[in-house]
Amino acid sequence: MTGKEVTRGLLVLIVALVLQLTVGLDLWVAGAHPELMIGLAAVAGLVGGPERGAVAGFCTGIAIDLFLPTPFGLSALVGTLIGAAAGQLAESGVDRSHPLFGPGVATIASAIGVIMFAVLGTVLGQPDMLTTGLGGAVLVVAVANGVLSYPMTGVCRWAFGQDASGAAWRGTLVSGDAP
Amino acid sequence: MRVARPRRSRRTLVIVAVLVLLSVTLITFDARSGTGRLTAGIKSVAHDVFAPIVAGVNDVLRPIGDFFAGSVHYGALQQENQRLQATIGELRLQLREVQGEAKQQKELHALEGLPYLASLKTVTAQMINFDVSNFDADITISKGRDQGVTVGEPVVGAGGLVGQVVEASHTTAVVQLITDPRSSVGVAFGPTNQLYGQASGQGTGKPLAVGLVPAGTPLHRGEKMYTNGLNDAQYPPGIPVGSVASFRGTVGGGPMVVTIDPLADLGQLAYVAVVQWSPGL
Repeated sequence: MTGKEVTRGLLVLIVALVLQLTVGLDLWVAGAHPELMIGLAAVAGLVGGPERGAVAGFCTGIAIDLFLPTPFGLSALVGTLIGAAAGQLAESGVDRSHPLFGPGVATIASAIGVIMFAVLGTVLGQPDMLTTGLGGAVLVVAVANGVLSYPMTGVCRWAFGQDASGAAWRGTLVSGDAP
Repeated sequence: MRVARPRRSRRTLVIVAVLVLLSVTLITFDARSGTGRLTAGIKSVAHDVFAPIVAGVNDVLRPIGDFFAGSVHYGALQQENQRLQATIGELRLQLREVQGEAKQQKELHALEGLPYLASLKTVTAQMINFDVSNFDADITISKGRDQGVTVGEPVVGAGGLVGQVVEASHTTAVVQLITDPRSSVGVAFGPTNQLYGQASGQGTGKPLAVGLVPAGTPLHRGEKMYTNGLNDAQYPPGIPVGSVASFRGTVGGGPMVVTIDPLADLGQLAYVAVVQWSPGL
């Protein structure tokens, strides 16, 4: 990662965090609100590959962990795994040409992320995370991040210094490739 | 140029493994009482830094949202509404405190004590955020350590007990609501508040489950329950907690299944009062 990428990434992180803590919390649907940070981790993985996805997921997780009453580091763990997995999927050779590929992956990754968060939280002794509104949270977070994956993709491309006119998940250049 | 092919570089695995280990280390640090203070301190700093930013963005964006929601003259009406809600809440609380005090009168005389709330100071605060997590029931309020708010203090408002302060930064504090699954409040009820139970949260918008109520205990719907002052004195006695929503016996004469609805309107909190009370007093 270059210094420029780090600076842009930090800017994106702070803006996303503020949006989550303001607009995100006000969008209360079916007993739950969107969680932009997990969606950003998934999209960062799709756009930047598993390494950037993992780092972005860790950073977004740590950022939101600062404001959650759950164990510090839990969101970072989930974000790391989701970002890396999404990035691995994007580089696995699957056909990424379909326009719904990105939103689909963001939706599924977000749903898995919320469930993983609840399961790990339960393992760590947090009560009722698997029963209190899990279904609503999974649904709201997954749908919201699926829709928001379009703007998130543009933001991640910008942060990673990629050509904004190119398709995000239709082909990521591997470092060292000959032009 | 060629498009990336599936590959699992060692470097990627190392980065992911390091980040996972780092996350697990942070979780472990947070869980330990000694190092947990460090993470609490980091959280406190983050709250202090972001509180004005969040408040500023909310000041800009919320009126726009309210405007599009169809509110004409929204600013004045909203302020008036919040002020009236706070007043109604205070009056309800006073009324219920009086009712609770009447029930406890004999005990209070016997103890030669006064209702704790009457002699305790309170700090009035505004709610600035609600339920940051989808899995917890908590609010963030506009007062923190600088205004005398400390961890463990009870929070009341809008008709009854709201919850307890679980985190306090310099300028804000996080209040765990009584509906949070981790919340547990010792309650007293009955004609002279001589019966005890334990009210546990079950999540946002759900009633509290009251445990430890023996089979055959006389109850009626709407009966009010108050903090009992026990349970390591987490709360002072006599604060209204909830009213009985449902109750039934269990097979085999086990404890009754009782639920109560919070008396505080937790969905409409605008202002709350933090009671200057330390657990264990």
